[in-house]
Amino acid sequence: MIIKRISIENFGKIRNKTMEFSPGMNILYGENESGKTTAHTFVKSMLYGIQRQRGRAARKDAYTLYLPWDNPAVYGGTLWFESGGKNFRIRRNFYKENQSEEFLCEDDRELLDIEAGDLEAVLGGVSETVYENTVSVAQLKSSTGTELVREVQNYMASYQGAGDSSVDLGRTMQRLKMERKGYQVQADRLRRENEQEKEKIASNMEYIRRELEGLKEQDAGIRESEKKLHAGDEGSGGQIFEERIYRLRQKRKMWCLTGVLAWAAAIAGAAALWYLFHGFSWFCLLPLSAALAVSVAAFLANSRLKDEIERWQRQKKRWQGKQEKLQWSREKLRESEREKTTALANLSAEYQEAEDNACHPLAEELEIESLNLAMSTITSLSGNIHRQVGGSLRKRTSQILSEITGGKYADVLMDSELHMTVNTEGRVIPLEQLSRGTVEQIYFSLRMAAGELLCGGEKFPVILDEVFGMYDEDRLAAVLEWLSKEKRQVIICSCRRREMEIMEKHGITFQKVMM
Amino acid sequence: MVRFIHLADVHLGAAPDRGCPWSHAREEEIWETFRRVIASISRDPVDLLFIAGDLFHRQPLLRELKEVNYLFSTIPETRVFLMAGNHDYIKKDSFYRGFAWEPNVTFFEDEARTCVRITELDTFVYGMSYHRQMIRENLYDRWTPEEEDGFHVLLAHGGDGEHIPIDARRLAAAGFSYLALGHIHKPHALLRGKAVYAGALEPIDRNDAGRHGYVEGSWDRGKLRLKFIPFASRSYENLVLSLNEESTQYSLEEMAKNSILKKGGQNIYRLVLQGSRPPELVLLTERLKRIGNISEVLDESVPAYDLEELERRFRGTLIGDYIGHFSGRDLSLVEEKALYHGLQALLETGIINQ
Repeated sequence: MIIKRISIENFGKIRNKTMEFSPGMNILYGENESGKTTAHTFVKSMLYGIQRQRGRAARKDAYTLYLPWDNPAVYGGTLWFESGGKNFRIRRNFYKENQSEEFLCEDDRELLDIEAGDLEAVLGGVSETVYENTVSVAQLKSSTGTELVREVQNYMASYQGAGDSSVDLGRTMQRLKMERKGYQVQADRLRRENEQEKEKIASNMEYIRRELEGLKEQDAGIRESEKKLHAGDEGSGGQIFEERIYRLRQKRKMWCLTGVLAWAAAIAGAAALWYLFHGFSWFCLLPLSAALAVSVAAFLANSRLKDEIERWQRQKKRWQGKQEKLQWSREKLRESEREKTTALANLSAEYQEAEDNACHPLAEELEIESLNLAMSTITSLSGNIHRQVGGSLRKRTSQILSEITGGKYADVLMDSELHMTVNTEGRVIPLEQLSRGTVEQIYFSLRMAAGELLCGGEKFPVILDEVFGMYDEDRLAAVLEWLSKEKRQVIICSCRRREMEIMEKHGITFQKVMM
Repeated sequence: MVRFIHLADVHLGAAPDRGCPWSHAREEEIWETFRRVIASISRDPVDLLFIAGDLFHRQPLLRELKEVNYLFSTIPETRVFLMAGNHDYIKKDSFYRGFAWEPNVTFFEDEARTCVRITELDTFVYGMSYHRQMIRENLYDRWTPEEEDGFHVLLAHGGDGEHIPIDARRLAAAGFSYLALGHIHKPHALLRGKAVYAGALEPIDRNDAGRHGYVEGSWDRGKLRLKFIPFASRSYENLVLSLNEESTQYSLEEMAKNSILKKGGQNIYRLVLQGSRPPELVLLTERLKRIGNISEVLDESVPAYDLEELERRFRGTLIGDYIGHFSGRDLSLVEEKALYHGLQALLETGIINQ
């Protein structure tokens, strides 16, 4: 592809300007801030449309950046280019109110359709990003040596892993890992909370279990007391009291009977003595006084027995009271045990539910899974690109470097830690130890190699934007010689006359385009 | 005229949303709302109160049964009918067995059809209780009402595959006047004006979104009137917040706050974020959770990327390959999330060209 002419009607700060380019070497010469980058963006926007963001990002998108201050309704121009041996013309107006585009094949006078993908086909399927990565080569941004080396290494790594120098795989992965970490912390917290809830239930269960144990102990205590009550000193059960009282009552009856019998015997005895002695005799009083003695004894014994019976009856009542109390507490105990057993079963069901809930994946875990998938997909796709691009990129970079350094540097290598080295005169030297000029040459070779590899069949122009600032004269001459021999259009943007002077000196033909 | 109240699935003893700050309050509210229903009946007595199962969330404790029985004793003019559902089913050692209920209470203790006749109201109530957690047989289908005129009420619990499938049309055709149903927590009619799920009196968890309460009805010489009375102290609501490319964390919080203010601050919300958000917006969902009773935040929003445009722009490079890897097929939730996570990381960590 060759850019033949651009006619800028109104774009950024440029108005009504036409520039012609030759198919070979071109120098776009102008002061700083004279609009070289604008011209460059104009070409890209002609081919791919101007980037517009939505929402708040729109404030700093390319559309807003290059929207002309005066007469913005005319915002665009025309581009003439050649591709695959045919000449094309694109006219565009980017202004959002009256957007228009026209794509014409000048040889067939045929109007083509950009929307339908005709332009894409003409450009050989080279996407905007690939175009940015191959056509335009900007100056390295770094000012210090170490930063410069890192920048070049990043470029190489990005090309090899992503086919796109603007992608930084290391930082991408770092960011995804950070995001994953964030979700992991959340998920862990939720899991821990759930675990704590479960522990709370478990400790409640343990508490109830201990209470149940306590109840069992109490129950055993009651049994013990009952046993004592039945098998104590008094013998077993309430019957013993009954028997005792019964026996005492019998005894009492016996004493009564004895008294009555004694009196009966005494009266009979007295009567007999009366009869024997024919009348009263002192002897008659003997049996009566004996009976009196006996009945006094019986009376004493009786009242003693009465006390004893009362005592036993009191004891029996006390025993019965105890018995009832024990029975009552046993019933209470049993009820309480049933209540607690049910509560325990309920808690255990709850625990089970909490456990089942823990099996459901958290929203955070879903995010973690998706982040893992994102990382593995990026890694494997990047691996594919690396296999396709990696080796040949390194080979071609080495080749170009060797050509522009007159064979001094033969091989560019990159290890798995993205560390670059070069082979020179049988020695392997890390990039850090090379001069800035050499690092710039490596960068140049890398960009040129990437441009060839990524674009495929059709050779695209290369726009070099202030790239040779750090080159000394010999290096610059070698690079320009190399570029002029490559069969592709080269546009060098510069604010100095150095490039032109060297080309004139070395007899390289070029077209000068003034800004 | 016979006036009645039909409620179901009270789930006394449930502690919803364990771990959330309102869990304990909810446990109390479930009891309190049941007490409020009884208090309102005591102020304006109805003839019948139907409780269609799952009065308790799990096996009732004796003191809980006593508490409920006491509440019933405060409405002696109302005949109460209740049954055990699948949650509080009658286990072998259940306190339901042989519990001495107040005279105005009928508990259908058997697992077989039992019919109770209230002569003065011309009313027949049919019911049974769960004796196991799962009953797959459609037990009710064989039931028929007594062949007499009157108000025939079937008190039934279940309606899904594992809890007595119910064929409402068939039961209505068999002659039942009203099917007072329980088990499904969402209040709705299975058969309009004939078979109704009163729904849970209070929502039991975040899946019970929407209004909750009980059914109030009357039967007057063959004419049945039903009315749903919202009674729950709060509800679970899904709050959909639509994001656009101008959304910020602050605007989202304001939007959520206003909606919650409008819909009621006492309610419990599940925030659903939809639409497309600015890609650079990092949502702090934890902050969103602090603006009210938020049970969870579901983020279904996607970064506002024009995937087709991006794929075209980045074709031939890793980003293009990455989008291509996920396009042209139906994506699972994880894949869709992966696409946006990866794409955003690739685009935003990149070195900005020019």
